[in-house]
Amino acid sequence: MAYDYQAVHALDGTIGAVPGQRANHLAVHRATAIAVVLAAPGHGAEAAGILVADGAFEARFCGPGEWLVLSEVHAPETLVAELSVRLGAFAFVVDQSHGRVALTLSGPDAARILANGIAVDLHPGAFAVGRAATMLCNHLSVNLARTGVDRFDLVVMRSFAEAFVADLKVMARSHDLSVDFATR
Amino acid sequence: MTAYRLASGGLIDRSNTIGFTFDGASLSGHAGDTLASALLANDRLLVGRSFKYHRPRGIVTAGPAEPNALVTIGTGARRDPNTKATVAELYDGLAATSQNRWPSLAFDIGAVNDRLSRFLSAGFYYKTFMWPAAFWEKVYEPLIRRAAGLGRTDLPRDPDGYEKSWAHCDLLVVGSGPAGLAAALVAARSGLRVILAEQDFVLGGALLSETTRLDGEAPFVFARHALDELHGHPGVTLLPRTTVFGWYDDNVFGAVERVQKHSATIDAARPVERLWRIVAKHAILATGAEERPLVFGGNDRPGIMMASAASTYANRFGIAAGRSVAIFTNGSSGYRTAEDLSAQGVEIAALIDSRTDASDRAPDGVRVVRGGGIIDTKGRRRVRAVIADRGGFEELIACDAVAMSGGWSPVIHLACQRGGKPVWSQALQAFLAPEAGDGLVMAGAAAGHYRLSECLDDGARKASAIVEALGRPVAGFERPVVGEEVDPSFTALWHVPGARSKAFVDFQNDVHGKDLGLALREGFGHVEHAKRYTTSGMATDQGKLGNINAIGILATMRGVSPAEVGTTTFRPFYTPVSFGALAGSSRDEHAMPVRRSPLHGWAARHGAVFIDAGLWYRSSWFPKAGEKTWRESVDREVRTVREHAGLCDVSTLGKIEVFGPDAAEFLNRLYCNPVLKLPVGKARYGLMLREDGMVYDDGTVSRLAEEHFLVTTTTAMAAGVLSHMEFAAQVLWPELRVRFLSVSDQWAQMSIAGPKARTILQAVVEDDLSNAAFPFLAAREVRLKGNLKARLFRISFSGELAYELAVPAGYGEAVADALMRAGEPQGLCAYGVEALNVLRIEKGHVTHAELDGRVTPDDAGLGRMMGTGKPDFIGKRLSTRFGLTAADRAQLVGLKALEADKDMRAGAHLLKDGAKPSTINDQGWVSSVCFSPTLGTHIALAFLKSGRERYGEKIVVWDKLRGVETFAEVCDPVFVDPENRKLMA
Repeated sequence: MAYDYQAVHALDGTIGAVPGQRANHLAVHRATAIAVVLAAPGHGAEAAGILVADGAFEARFCGPGEWLVLSEVHAPETLVAELSVRLGAFAFVVDQSHGRVALTLSGPDAARILANGIAVDLHPGAFAVGRAATMLCNHLSVNLARTGVDRFDLVVMRSFAEAFVADLKVMARSHDLSVDFATR
Repeated sequence: MTAYRLASGGLIDRSNTIGFTFDGASLSGHAGDTLASALLANDRLLVGRSFKYHRPRGIVTAGPAEPNALVTIGTGARRDPNTKATVAELYDGLAATSQNRWPSLAFDIGAVNDRLSRFLSAGFYYKTFMWPAAFWEKVYEPLIRRAAGLGRTDLPRDPDGYEKSWAHCDLLVVGSGPAGLAAALVAARSGLRVILAEQDFVLGGALLSETTRLDGEAPFVFARHALDELHGHPGVTLLPRTTVFGWYDDNVFGAVERVQKHSATIDAARPVERLWRIVAKHAILATGAEERPLVFGGNDRPGIMMASAASTYANRFGIAAGRSVAIFTNGSSGYRTAEDLSAQGVEIAALIDSRTDASDRAPDGVRVVRGGGIIDTKGRRRVRAVIADRGGFEELIACDAVAMSGGWSPVIHLACQRGGKPVWSQALQAFLAPEAGDGLVMAGAAAGHYRLSECLDDGARKASAIVEALGRPVAGFERPVVGEEVDPSFTALWHVPGARSKAFVDFQNDVHGKDLGLALREGFGHVEHAKRYTTSGMATDQGKLGNINAIGILATMRGVSPAEVGTTTFRPFYTPVSFGALAGSSRDEHAMPVRRSPLHGWAARHGAVFIDAGLWYRSSWFPKAGEKTWRESVDREVRTVREHAGLCDVSTLGKIEVFGPDAAEFLNRLYCNPVLKLPVGKARYGLMLREDGMVYDDGTVSRLAEEHFLVTTTTAMAAGVLSHMEFAAQVLWPELRVRFLSVSDQWAQMSIAGPKARTILQAVVEDDLSNAAFPFLAAREVRLKGNLKARLFRISFSGELAYELAVPAGYGEAVADALMRAGEPQGLCAYGVEALNVLRIEKGHVTHAELDGRVTPDDAGLGRMMGTGKPDFIGKRLSTRFGLTAADRAQLVGLKALEADKDMRAGAHLLKDGAKPSTINDQGWVSSVCFSPTLGTHIALAFLKSGRERYGEKIVVWDKLRGVETFAEVCDPVFVDPENRKLMA
């Protein structure tokens, strides 16, 4: 018997892709490696320093002493291994590549669409490019990172990903939105 | 004809004619009309019947305080009852119907109530319908509700969409009149993020109906220029058709925007209404002032309206309220209306001024009756004449409309919604807003500044102060040159003496002056009591017009100042808001997000029947061809697990990884049983207590490394346990060096249970799974064939030889498929949560059906788990308190049904044979039941007083809900394999 396991993405066959690239677009990332870094108690500053100083990783704040690290180039295991080596005793690294789903919302109405579910002020002056935080979007928790004036990365729990995308489509009802898996 | 459209004038588009219907009659108006102005233009004075007496009623105001002109707009599923015609924007195809009348508006049977009114005084139904008591709910109340009332709703599904949005600004300006516009201009020019909200569909507020010139031009021209400029500022959001209805904590304002309420055709891509939650650093309420009605005999006849409304209809809508208008005033407002109407060529029948001396000038040729009052009016469906009284001299004055003005009240509603009480101003004879702190200030007429110049100055001044407070340079505002202004003062007149007929205080609720007197006589003189007793100030308008007069009358009757009477409590909403807007998009599947297991697709492919389990969808059972009932499927699944093996999705269990040098100590204090010495590579059952000693949750603790643990929780308590741990780490023991993270979504987890479980797993797993290499409670990482890392735990909920295998969620389906293939020769089947439940009842394992918050570890038969030797753990102290250690506490037992054809249900109570059902005789309750295919009988888990001493006793299972009694035998709760031979195999 051959054992060749194929991973299924949480949104495979469920998102009801709205194809093409409309004015606003929600891209679902199929193979992003995601790790959560928890600073060891008393070592938040050291962990933050290593994460921020190292341009190799996209570290997103999601709570005191807690970051999400996303990578499009690492495999989940290598991401965890590399982070663990660099952070040493300053942090604990947990693979969440299968536990979370990464999405990118871009377009001129991106902030306006998100304001239909998110209470945080997303004006570029208040939530600048490069900032990230974990917040509620309607019923669900999402880590939101601003990667451009009109561009946001969203990380949601895997089990809620389908409900989240369905919600986002409703939030974007008055705005031209396409939804599809990202092409690499 | 009385009311009519003037030949010219107004801010309506006369080139754009709009067709609409009222009670089926086809009528027309113009773009820019409200439904009320269009009805007036068509001389439709009679628009409704009153709440209690069914009196004919007409349009009283030109704004959101309207008490009478409540109509139902729309048809079918889009009917909106109780819509104020005075704010409803006219659109092509609008269909309006009148309310609270039968069979028709002109001939209404209910009007007989008016003749019976001496039996229908305030509070009459409390006195009249007292006996017999049972009749109130079944007979009296339904009758009263049908007889009295407003519009009716029916319940077809709302076909339209709604939206909820957040907005943020430095300054929220509520109201777009002179004060609001001046404030918005200053703030916008100073670079602030500004939101300007206006309930009207045209921005401009009073400037749309005002005639005092600004820079030599009509004031709406100034408004237009100001709005053009505001449009050009990128930081400014203009929100017309948006009512700010509430002021909440942290300076958050609730507002509802009517996005598509002015259209007969609905664009499905847009919401019909949008609920805004506006987070404002500062807010300026420029909400203007409300004109007060006068309380005189017969003051409710159609054709009697507020003086300012008569002016607005003339100036903004180009409509004369009548051909001959009588004006009754206690201040300058009546004179201004006289001017506005005279300027349009409308005859003024008389100007009756309650004051004996006043400096106001009436237009040339208008007769002024000073020191007079109206004591009655004539006419039925419209006013024909008024009876004026001056010092006992009565005079009948013919007219076809009456404009009344009782002075002005600042609109302070929002500012009083968070507990601040209005403050009485003797100088202004009005209640003003309380000091609200930094976040909210009043400006213009809402602050008691009634002159146009004052409004502009005050708005600009208040905005400048806010710009300064935000540390920005203040931009200039050059106030336009204001034309000739009049003294806005008035002399309060709470009620007009000598009324010959009912003098209404609250039009909407049919409360007249005598009702308030009755309330006071019967001991309900407090303003809040008077409101409930008389219903004054209730229903959709909440007394926007009438309350101030009710307060004034109560004050007069009690011989005190209105300051002493005070106001009733202001609460959201300022005006009614639809449930649709409040729900937003949270309906159907968007009301509660669906949470799917990573094995959902696998279960669906195997034909699972799913069930809502909390937020999750879980596979309940897997019917096979030929199985007719769920019991057949479940019985087969249970037997297969006991004889061969089964695979169940247990991914929904909460999983939390715990790290740190103090992780073991942390968990040792969190669980009641010892955790400190758990070896690496081993799992242990764990029980968490609450502080009060009751069981909170159970699960397993596995030590993956010296300073790395994985704990599982029940599905239901996953979020609760995580919060509990956060609290313990942050508040109880901040000194412990520990971090943790929920990893529930990372793993797909499968239970493989049954005598063949090892054989099946070994086909898939590289590592040695022999009993010696992987004994009971082993827990560690393994490698699957095909080189996939997984976590394997030898734990059992069923009592069988069992394992739980966790793989990264995305691989869950593939691994489950591989196991099913490997298990096929061994007879492996998929089983759902129903079979899981039967298996654990047979083995006597508890779930939250047993751990219901009233149960101690000892009650559940787990008393020996308590690590009483530990220095401390949550729940330790209170576990020893009196009552928790009593010998007669209900203890977990098993029950075997003695009558084969009778099942048992959870919730049934236990009685001694022959005892009468009573609280005293209650012996305990049934917590979980099932049919046991293994034993071939119905069994149950139950809590029974001193139960462990009573094995073998015959007991009555008393089920009052179903009216069933059955006998059962008390036994050990472990029905299957009490020696754990299968478990350890």
